[in-house]
Amino acid sequence: MSAVLEKAPPAERADEQRRSRSAVLALALFEARKLLLRLPVLAMFVLYVAWIGWTMRDAWTTFPALQDVDRATQTGPLLPALAVLLCANQAVLRSRRQDTDRHFDVLVLEPWRRTVAFALSVVPAAGLTALLVAAQFTWGVIAPGSVGHGSVGELLVGPLTVLLAGTAGVLLARVVRSPFAAPMLLVLAFFSTLFLGAISTGSDGSATRWLVPVIGDASSKTLPSDLLGRPAVWHALYLFGLALTLALAAVLVNGGRTKTVAAALVVAVGLGTWGAVGQAAKVSKSTTDARVLATLNPAKVQSCARHGNSTYCAFPEWMPRTGTWAEVADHVQSLAGGTAAQEKLLVRQRVDARYGMDGDGAIEPSTTPYQVTVGTRWGGPRVPEFAAAVSSVLVTGSEKASGSLCDGRMVTIMWLALGWQSDPLTQLRAVRLDDSVSGSAIVLSPTNPMSMTAEQTTVVRELLTAGKVTVAPKVKAHWAELTAPKVTTAKVAELLGVKAPAGADKCV
Amino acid sequence: MTTGVLGQLVRPVLRALPRRALGAGAGAGLLLAALPRLLSDDPDQWTALLVLRGAALALALGLTFLLDDPARQVTVAVPTRRMLRTALRTALVVPLAALWWTAVVLLIPSEIRPPVGALTLEAAAAAVVALAASATAVRLTDEAEPGQRVAIALLATSMAAALLFPENWGLFAAPKDKWWAVGHDHWAFVLAGAALVWAACGPEPVRRRRLRLIPS
Repeated sequence: MSAVLEKAPPAERADEQRRSRSAVLALALFEARKLLLRLPVLAMFVLYVAWIGWTMRDAWTTFPALQDVDRATQTGPLLPALAVLLCANQAVLRSRRQDTDRHFDVLVLEPWRRTVAFALSVVPAAGLTALLVAAQFTWGVIAPGSVGHGSVGELLVGPLTVLLAGTAGVLLARVVRSPFAAPMLLVLAFFSTLFLGAISTGSDGSATRWLVPVIGDASSKTLPSDLLGRPAVWHALYLFGLALTLALAAVLVNGGRTKTVAAALVVAVGLGTWGAVGQAAKVSKSTTDARVLATLNPAKVQSCARHGNSTYCAFPEWMPRTGTWAEVADHVQSLAGGTAAQEKLLVRQRVDARYGMDGDGAIEPSTTPYQVTVGTRWGGPRVPEFAAAVSSVLVTGSEKASGSLCDGRMVTIMWLALGWQSDPLTQLRAVRLDDSVSGSAIVLSPTNPMSMTAEQTTVVRELLTAGKVTVAPKVKAHWAELTAPKVTTAKVAELLGVKAPAGADKCV
Repeated sequence: MTTGVLGQLVRPVLRALPRRALGAGAGAGLLLAALPRLLSDDPDQWTALLVLRGAALALALGLTFLLDDPARQVTVAVPTRRMLRTALRTALVVPLAALWWTAVVLLIPSEIRPPVGALTLEAAAAAVVALAASATAVRLTDEAEPGQRVAIALLATSMAAALLFPENWGLFAAPKDKWWAVGHDHWAFVLAGAALVWAACGPEPVRRRRLRLIPS
């Protein structure tokens, strides 16, 4: 008899364990469903979806780089994160508000197990965020002409922010039981973070900069993904460790002082610290070296492809785009006359990567004859900018020579760059800094900008309105005179058969 | 008669004020406003504007708890109308809030202080929106303490608004922006609209229409 009695208790305990585990799971599922159906959470998720649609609205035409798309997924999840924090906090405080705390004392489920369930209940919200982040990134991947590589670490930031917010709400409710604590602390934290972010100049790459969930960049340029030097994986690990720490701390303060919880808390703190230390490290020597190499001597790391007469060299991630560049360059070259029409161009992709994403640097124009620079972005105004760079090299011989250009050749350059387009006036507007089609203006190009006088603008506009068919033969016929240094705008206008402008030519 | 009732009511209403929530809001606001003096050697006008708006939002969040009345189911039956009781609560808080706002504004160093009149309009609008929202919640639901729910809604709405409202509405413009003046016309409209809603939701309805939000 006694033997039977001795054996029974362990079986019962295991059974009890399983039952309490399934009770926790059931409560977590119930709370998760409730959390996702709360009005603020629903509204914020709807807003977040709208935000995704808004930010990705022109992904189809802007040739996104995936190493930018992954970072662009990070700010949107802050919207649901805010609502999840507040609503998870409110959910934990519900029993206190409705005065049902006492009733839970008679339940077999200990209070700390209820906290476990509350902490688990924010996981589906984080999962939903992960789905939406994945959708946004996929949208970038399938966009035509997208290049580069995304980083899992960067993509995880969004869902982990929601998870962190939820666990912070649960912990807050277990530490401070007043209903106003969560909104107040959130406002305090939000505005002081903004304030601290605004006063610190931030370029020293300090360790504290990475302690907030989402870290923006000072620069908005696109770099090859291996030169970014952002500790994305470390940061994801830090966020995960922090979220886990907060959840376990909530369980601990609620009386869950079991060995398992304590051990898990130690592991979580360790993970968070490991991530925090990892992300605080300076950009590695190999990355800085690679950045300098890619900036000063890109030929070492680039591959080249031949399209037609010309050669196109790009960072490996951009090789699929060389064909698109070639189309533009060929169109521009087909309008040129003389030897320029057959010239072998070298199009080389260049970017100033020396400062990483912390700062921008200008790229010096190339002095090599018939070498054209192309940037890392494409689509929109980048297309006529590249076309202007190609045409300026065809007319003056090198990028360096076109920088200080101040004569009638500018008309030829702009006509070559835009004459082949289907709506050249729109492109003219896009390529000029002030978005105008009259008056003097700066013309952007991948390297140094060029300047157009008001008279040149008038002539170019008339040429573009006259159409390619009438102007192209005249350009080819008078190519030598049009590209002669010091040719006046009036002379160019006369050669191409448009009315010469009245004013004198004066460079800005 | 009314003055007599009011005189009798002042003490209990004063005692029933949600002092901790209001105090937390005021404290958070003062802390935010003190940041430029405490932490920054070279504060600029933009950060001053930021912390002032943060302080105004903090007090507005505190004010969402103003109409919380744990004994609501009991006080609904007293002969003094709710309009009067809430008006008294507000009247007791207004001078303190004005004093608090003066302190907050004075905490910002004078050389970086944004235009005080315009910022006061914004803060007043935020406060009245908070009061209108909690009055609406009290009017439309049976809840005794809708404060937290309203605070969450207000916080979420204001964050989403700051992010999503078009720039030319000027609600969150900086003093040198083109839309600053237009924005403050809009703030005045917000203030007036919220005051109307607040007044409309003041009286206790004769017949209660049940509007059940998703219970939490």
